[in-house]
Amino acid sequence: MIIPLYIIVAIICIYTFRHYWFTLNRLFGFQRHPYIDTDTAEWPPVTILVAAHNEEKVVANILGALMTVKYPPEKMLIIPVNDRSTDRTREIIDEFVERFPGRIQPFHRKEGKGGKAAALKDAMELVKTEVILIFDADYIPGAGLVKQLVAPFFDPEVGGVMGRVVPMNCGANLLTRLLDLERSGGYQVDQQARMNLRLVPQHGGTVAGVRLSALREIGGWNDASLTEDTDLTYRLLLHGWKTAYQNRSECYEEVPETWTVRIKQIMRWAKGHNQAMVTYAIRLALGRHRATLRERIDGTLLLGVYAIAPVTMIGWILALGVFYQGVAPLHGLIALFGITAYASVGNLAAFFEIAAAVRLDGNRQRVSLLPFLILGFSVSIFAVSHAAWSQLVGLVRKAEFHWDKTERFRKAT
Amino acid sequence: MSVLAVAALILMLLGMLAFPLIPSLTELHNQRDAKPLSVIQEHAGEIRHFASGFRNYISGLRPALQQCVATGTTAHGVLPDGCEYLILGKTVKFPEMKMRDKEPLCELVVLAGTLLKTPDNTTFAHEIYAGEDLVGGENCTYRAILGEKNIRLAPGTTVMRWVHSLGTFSTDHHCDLFGRVSSDRSIHLGVNTQFLRVNAPRIELGSLAIIDDRDNDAPVFGDTQSRIVHRLLVDGDYEIGPKEVVTGSVVSRGRLLIRSGAKIHGSVKSHHELTLETDVIVDGSVISASKMTIGNNCLLHGPIIAERQMAIAAGTRCGSSTQPTTISSPRIDIEEGVVVFGTLWAREYGRVVVNL
Repeated sequence: MIIPLYIIVAIICIYTFRHYWFTLNRLFGFQRHPYIDTDTAEWPPVTILVAAHNEEKVVANILGALMTVKYPPEKMLIIPVNDRSTDRTREIIDEFVERFPGRIQPFHRKEGKGGKAAALKDAMELVKTEVILIFDADYIPGAGLVKQLVAPFFDPEVGGVMGRVVPMNCGANLLTRLLDLERSGGYQVDQQARMNLRLVPQHGGTVAGVRLSALREIGGWNDASLTEDTDLTYRLLLHGWKTAYQNRSECYEEVPETWTVRIKQIMRWAKGHNQAMVTYAIRLALGRHRATLRERIDGTLLLGVYAIAPVTMIGWILALGVFYQGVAPLHGLIALFGITAYASVGNLAAFFEIAAAVRLDGNRQRVSLLPFLILGFSVSIFAVSHAAWSQLVGLVRKAEFHWDKTERFRKAT
Repeated sequence: MSVLAVAALILMLLGMLAFPLIPSLTELHNQRDAKPLSVIQEHAGEIRHFASGFRNYISGLRPALQQCVATGTTAHGVLPDGCEYLILGKTVKFPEMKMRDKEPLCELVVLAGTLLKTPDNTTFAHEIYAGEDLVGGENCTYRAILGEKNIRLAPGTTVMRWVHSLGTFSTDHHCDLFGRVSSDRSIHLGVNTQFLRVNAPRIELGSLAIIDDRDNDAPVFGDTQSRIVHRLLVDGDYEIGPKEVVTGSVVSRGRLLIRSGAKIHGSVKSHHELTLETDVIVDGSVISASKMTIGNNCLLHGPIIAERQMAIAAGTRCGSSTQPTTISSPRIDIEEGVVVFGTLWAREYGRVVVNL
């Protein structure tokens, strides 16, 4: 019992160190924003895919916003990917097609496999440009965003691009405020630090882009994946393509306003991420491919982030077992020092990261909500562990994965 | 007694637990910082943003300016925000100004409807609007200038925030241009001029920058001996030979050296130092995650980005009149005789030098 516990403690310590490394890099390190100053260029033609499944509440907002972005209109084609919607999504899209002739080419998908990746895969028959941008329908891009997301593709090594997601409904309730903090930490610190350190910034599947030739090289969208973005990140990496993160390319999104929706969302993410871990972890860490050593290490750790929750829970159970067995690991005193040290430093790692992100964003008061994050973390740890468990059970029973769409809260306009 | 004691104990315990949460609960209740992070939806990084803002700011003074020009008079007044302004309807000697550190200081927003010549050694603490040409005096300091025609700044000039000219913009030697400098026609920067962000259809660096027939041309790749690589990814240093023609993009995870006369029909990138010798042609982008050195007479058509620093030698053309581009690096040294079409952006420090 003691050996597995040591292994779990070691894993948790590695992730703790990683949190601190990223945070300190963001606070004191060299910041890489190599493409953000590219404001004049011979801009390439771009296709913007807008994934929409029953999005009548929000789809008009994004199409309206895309019509006002500063990008040569003759070089930009918008393809709303209407994936088997049963609400007014199709009607709204067709209204826009009529209002803006030649600028929007709808893809109305009536049948086929469920899930965003499957819909995008089918829509690729309409894509003719080398640069593709992807947005979920609840996002509202600003005027300069398209150029900012296209600019990294001038780099011949870049296969994917990811912008920063900013919750627009963060003031709705405690949950949205906590998610706002988590997003800050995830993007402002985690993603940017990985960009700075030339590690593995993650493709998020929205406010994002992909190079068509790279996508073809890696075999297109993987419709068997629950999180096509994570899957894309790793396949690009294995083929020697970089994903660039643009921290200053910000875009508003809507975050879940109820815990039920949030739990569903995080469980889908966890399952998809774990699926990618099983598929790519060993190959990435030990296989022959084009990723660098630091990308191998960081990429493997990134694949494991959703596995940490169940691992932690197992660790708690083992620790209790060890305690009741009367075992004193490392002669008691060292263990006591270790626990004390971890309690004062390790537990704070994620909070430190988020506090640093809030500071970098220039906010002040919202950092006082930090203690409530324990609530968010607790819910996540159980939801993610439950997801991992149900995934294991599903694997044994050979059950198929189901893709759950995240519910929207915006009022239809 | 005992029940009360237990209740008191529980209350005290709850109070102690809640005490550290008081700031959290207060913020949760009062929502002082619950607005979304500010993302300016209309912001597109437009270099002329401040010039446009200033044009709107003084739009109310346009009738007065026209009247002063028509009557050849000057006028004083106060803008709605309390700033004093001076309208010059004819080319006159500047009025007496107060002195700061023995040098004249103009604390007025200046609007000129005719040719404006600013006196030497003067600091203009507010913006200047020039309806006609502006000819600057030596060693002047300007906060910002909006010119409807041409702007010519004398040696030793400093611009603190921005300049925008609808005509041509030129500086003599030893000027310091902080902030944004833009022109709708062309910009000429004298030697030993420092710059940060510069944008114009044509930017000439130093007096050796001349118009030539390469300015309007797309690169020609008539060579038949082209090596087709699609995308060549090299784990280490790499060299492209003299006069070698490569079709496709080259990415080196070490240093990349492109020998004289080589032609790349694609883009190049290196993780470490990137060196282009003389007469290299690249029709795509040129990117280095470290330092970049560009030799004489190169023709580069895509964006040019160096994450650490960059040096560009005389005779090189970046972009063309039909294909403008961006040069971007924290530190840029650019030799007299380089021409850039589009944007030249040094985040920390850019300088036009006589010799690299």
